[in-house]
Amino acid sequence: MGRRVNVIGVGMVKFQKPGASDSYDVMAREAARAALADAGVEYRDVQQAYAGYVYGESTCGQRALYELGMTGIPIVNVNNNCATGSTALWLGRQAIEGGMADCVLVVGFEQMEKGALGTKWNDRPNPVERHVGIMNEQQGFNEAPPTAQMFGGAGREYRWKYGTRRETFAKVASKAREHASRNPYALFRERLSVEEVLASPEIFDPLTRYQCCPPTCGAAAVVLASDEVVRRRGIKSPVYIAGQAMTTDPGSSFGDSMIKMVGYDMAAAAARQVYEQTGLGPRDVQVVELHDCFTSNEILTYEALGLCGEGEAEKLVWDGDNTFGGRWVTNPSGGLLSKGHPLGATGVAQCVELVWQLRGQAEGRQVEGARVALQHNLGLGGACVVTMYRRD
Amino acid sequence: MSNELRFDGKVVIVTGAGQGLGRAHALLFASRGAKVLVNDLGGTHTGEGRSSAAADRVVEEIRAAGGTAVANYDSVEDGARIVQAALDAFGRIDVVVNNAGILRDVSYAKMTDADWDLVYRVHVRGAHAVTHAAWPHLREQKYGRIVFTSSAAGIYGNFGQVNYAMAKLGLVGMMHALAIEGRKNNVLVNAIAPIAGSRMTETVLPRELVEALRPEYVSALVAWLCHESCEETGGLFEVGGGFFAKLRWNRTEGVTWRIGRTITPEMVRDQWKRIVDFSKSTFPSSVAESMAPILRNVEAGPSRGGNQYIDVDEALGWEAPPVRSSYDERDVALYALGVGAGADATDPRELGLVYEMHGGGFHPLPTMTAAIAVQQIMKAAMEGRQAPGLRFGLDRILHGEQYTEVLFPLPPRATLEHRAKIKAIWDKGKGAVVVNEVRSYDEQGELVAINEVSTFVRGAGGWGGERGPAGESADPPERAPDAVVREATSPDQALLYRLSGDVNPLHVDPGFARAFGFERPILHGLCTFGFAGRHLIRAFCGGDPRLLRSIRVRFAEPVYPGETLVTEMWKVEPLKIVFRTRVQERDKVVLANGIATLHPEVPQRKKRPAPAAAAAAAEPTSADVFGGIARFMARERDVATRAQTVYLFRLSQPDSEWTIDTREGRVRPGAPERAECTLELTDADFMAMVTGKADPMKLFSSGRLRISGNVMASQKLDFLRKVDPNDVLEAMRERTGGAGAPAAGTAGTIGAAPQAVTSEVVFRAIGAWFAKNPELARKAGVVYLFKLSNPDSAWTLDTKEGVVRPGMPDRPECTLELSDADFLAMVQGQADPMKLFTSGRLRISGNVMASQKLEFLTKLDRNEVAAAMGAPASSAPSAAAASAGASAQAAARQPVAPRLFEALEQRLRAQPALGAEVGATVRFVVGEQSWTVDFPAGRVERGGSAAAATVIGISDEALEEIARGKLGLQQAFQRGRMRVDGDVAPARRLGVLVGLL
Repeated sequence: MGRRVNVIGVGMVKFQKPGASDSYDVMAREAARAALADAGVEYRDVQQAYAGYVYGESTCGQRALYELGMTGIPIVNVNNNCATGSTALWLGRQAIEGGMADCVLVVGFEQMEKGALGTKWNDRPNPVERHVGIMNEQQGFNEAPPTAQMFGGAGREYRWKYGTRRETFAKVASKAREHASRNPYALFRERLSVEEVLASPEIFDPLTRYQCCPPTCGAAAVVLASDEVVRRRGIKSPVYIAGQAMTTDPGSSFGDSMIKMVGYDMAAAAARQVYEQTGLGPRDVQVVELHDCFTSNEILTYEALGLCGEGEAEKLVWDGDNTFGGRWVTNPSGGLLSKGHPLGATGVAQCVELVWQLRGQAEGRQVEGARVALQHNLGLGGACVVTMYRRD
Repeated sequence: MSNELRFDGKVVIVTGAGQGLGRAHALLFASRGAKVLVNDLGGTHTGEGRSSAAADRVVEEIRAAGGTAVANYDSVEDGARIVQAALDAFGRIDVVVNNAGILRDVSYAKMTDADWDLVYRVHVRGAHAVTHAAWPHLREQKYGRIVFTSSAAGIYGNFGQVNYAMAKLGLVGMMHALAIEGRKNNVLVNAIAPIAGSRMTETVLPRELVEALRPEYVSALVAWLCHESCEETGGLFEVGGGFFAKLRWNRTEGVTWRIGRTITPEMVRDQWKRIVDFSKSTFPSSVAESMAPILRNVEAGPSRGGNQYIDVDEALGWEAPPVRSSYDERDVALYALGVGAGADATDPRELGLVYEMHGGGFHPLPTMTAAIAVQQIMKAAMEGRQAPGLRFGLDRILHGEQYTEVLFPLPPRATLEHRAKIKAIWDKGKGAVVVNEVRSYDEQGELVAINEVSTFVRGAGGWGGERGPAGESADPPERAPDAVVREATSPDQALLYRLSGDVNPLHVDPGFARAFGFERPILHGLCTFGFAGRHLIRAFCGGDPRLLRSIRVRFAEPVYPGETLVTEMWKVEPLKIVFRTRVQERDKVVLANGIATLHPEVPQRKKRPAPAAAAAAAEPTSADVFGGIARFMARERDVATRAQTVYLFRLSQPDSEWTIDTREGRVRPGAPERAECTLELTDADFMAMVTGKADPMKLFSSGRLRISGNVMASQKLDFLRKVDPNDVLEAMRERTGGAGAPAAGTAGTIGAAPQAVTSEVVFRAIGAWFAKNPELARKAGVVYLFKLSNPDSAWTLDTKEGVVRPGMPDRPECTLELSDADFLAMVQGQADPMKLFTSGRLRISGNVMASQKLEFLTKLDRNEVAAAMGAPASSAPSAAAASAGASAQAAARQPVAPRLFEALEQRLRAQPALGAEVGATVRFVVGEQSWTVDFPAGRVERGGSAAAATVIGISDEALEEIARGKLGLQQAFQRGRMRVDGDVAPARRLGVLVGLL
């Protein structure tokens, strides 16, 4: 391990429906401004910037950050599907940890279109062709949104293996809404009962509409800094990155399992590395932001992160060990399901939420006694970043 | 902490502040910088005696902590003196906390007038006296906060506290009304129902609980409600022991009877369940909201009457949820046989009704839709899905009249969606007539058939309602019929007809028929109806059932199977026939008032919608409507400006915003600076609304029209109805530059020459198109192999090279396998590739994603295909014939589920261990039927109501594949061919099904 990396400033804008938000450059700029103000540093103090987004022309990062200053620093645009934000974070951490920079700005943003995710470039090989091929072998391919088929299919496989009830998946969505109702930055803040979740239109069994994250527009930013900056600026007890790992698909993703195809082994490997780096385990964690793009993936991720053993997620859900009063609070922000999922912003926004939690600034959704936090951000194609944060 | 809620400079009166809650409030306010008037009479908690000690102690406590306070010892009944004391001491008043109270708990029987009066005087009159004295000061300074102290005893009632409960809920009423009066002057009023250990509760609660209920827990809420940053008003809160919550009223949806009905106690009794049912409820929070259902009822107009059998208000216009049903070639032929078709099996005109491979075409009889419609109605009634307000049994009804209209030729097999509604209800004196309308739509959403089933309900009339219109005249002209068809029914006619769905024993069971007063089973009315329809088709349609458009009859007399029917027909107009059907043997008219109409030619389905551009030129858009409104408002200024409101219309799909400013009398695109009333709806709904096709109230109540801001102002928009359509047209002409004439559709369709299309022709056309559009073709960059079957052929589509050729490529990247017929249907847009794929009729292997790039096929120039067709290549076997053969084969498939579950029961009986292994009760829902299998007990029940931990939804076909070992259980589940509700685990153990067939 190299130098310690601190998260000294965080900021985000309220997530919005497509069409209702500002354009990406305005959102990104506002989030960056908030993070810089929170850190108490000026844009001119930033030595490098990493900008994550998925949809848009090249160099959107420059377009957004030029508004803050023309300091000529390196700005790197990052694209890694749904794991884009945390990939940018990973790069920023690496720069500081390796001694290449002392103050780095990481911003993630997305201006999405209405409707389910589709493909934009149909004149060239599709990057997830192999994943889709596995799915086609396992369950065919139909007119439902492709990502819902993938994660929904993983949900089916999970149900088959462990006999899980449909209601368990719905309960995760209901929990997400309950958490989001406490988060002013979230997109969907109205509570939903399990019955309402189940009664919403079916997208791909077992997933109903309310169990799929919505297309969202939004931005989030964080400022990373070395201990030297922290000392120089007299920052008291900052949140820092205790461990972080990024993985891509192992060979086992392309076998005969939908669960593995959507990134289970990738996530489990990243979590294992983080636990090894930090010497801490899931029992030491109080609060988790994880990639609940669909309810099925939250269920799978409990097990990939080791919060429970394989097949035990249903019990975890019904015991309430994923919400306030339970062993962990997963996605206190409302998660992708309710806070929204602006692809490039998600991985950064998860970090923002966890920093607020560790600082005790999460207001109505504050997790009591949060000292250690875990982040999980996953993209098909694939990439997974798991990060552990601490505050002493 | 910087965001501490402070009361610096504020003056707070707390009554009853010498002890308990009041003391805690006073201490908290003072600690936050407020100057506090600590009022306490110093009496006991039952209101006896007085002393200054209590108030003085609290004031000392406050001063000792560095706060400011003065004591006051007046009774709250002398409220003016308390307020004056605060003014004297501090010069102003900001907050009044009415806290003083006493208890006189006693059972009602023993309660004295003094007990009642004293409680009233201290709680109600006292709170009023203090508040009333403070009120002018608060109003004048446009700032004030008031809290009343209510109690759970008042909200819910409590034994021995009748007086106290009265007083405490009285304060809540006071609070609600004062909140309304004070709002505009920023005087905010709330009430709390605290529970705290105090002198008053010591008498009723155990000591440990009193300890837990520290008054400080309540004071935090009081302080927040009284802070200047809190905007809450008119609220009632429960608080104490660490718990904080708000209360509101909750009202059931209730029951509404239309104005003008006689409402009897029996009606209230009978509807009691609904009156007290909270499953659908609202939370009214004002008198206006309280009144809303009554106003809606008044608006809905007077009742249309009813009695214990029929409630016209409830039933009329009721729409049943849509249901679907399917029929295939076998059903079509069976129905035709049931109504006498093919009695002469050598008659070529009749063979097309019963033989699916008939060379001249195979067409269902239009009257078959009547049988389907009635079956749907009966099925719904048996399952309890009947219109509300119809409360008569099936024993009272007679099928009185039938009207059937078929708009497009029925295909040989189809799935139809039926939408039924109660179209009319007439009071015929002794009886009543209920008209059920069933509209049937095909899978493309096209309305195919309309059926009106008029039911006579014996003894259900007489509520003084409308008799209904006299029917269309069907008197035959005074001349010999233009055509007569005489045909004997066969003695077993009813036995045959009932297989088409109407299984009423009246038509088959002699004993049952006798019980109903018939000498033997009678023929189904709709069977006679079908005979008459055939007679019309034979006489006026040249035997082609597609030409009969509609047929209406009144059922006059029953027919006995074996009797001879004589249908006499008069052509009264070129496309209209009047007819009646008699029984020859008894010379009785059995079908009276017969009227039929014809299609001039076989109707064609509508072409696909015209291109948007053409439609845009032909029809006004929302922009034109707003243009028309602008013209109207400019001309009729005084009508237009009457509303005095700025409206914003926010339309979606496509999105647009429009401002109608009735203050300025102007209309303009975009949003106004400040909209007073905003209406949000889709562009289509807006157009439907302004053209009178959609009722704004219905749009609103169904959530399709959202109104925000000043909702009432939306009612003033009715002047829009007066907008002159010519203004709209003028606006359109201006927009389109004078082109007002509808553009004629010019798009050709492949379907125009269906006989000549073969897959070979299509591939040649694709080749020709590739040659012309190499760029577009190469975009896909994939080598496709199409493997067609029935007849078999293989085609290579090489989009890299831009060539199409017969045969296999060296290395196909994406292979598509489907039948020749399905391929043709797909390229003609008649079959959805996705549906073909999901139903397993199209198989894709290799690079699956590449199949999505085939959308260019839909861009094929139709003329190109037509041109290729003009030069037919080698003759291929007729695809149509092959497809007909395939479908006939499919039609022959018999459901296996009944057989399978029978076999399952036997297997479980023989080997109970197999059932024990599954270890659960599982319900199988197969299509519209279900079986419940209690595996441990080895019991199989058709239908069944036993609680099942697992419910499996599966098609008969998938079930068969599993039973035959062709489809694995997990595979079936993963592929979505088997749905599982509840516990999935038992589904994994269903290996017992394999090998049952």
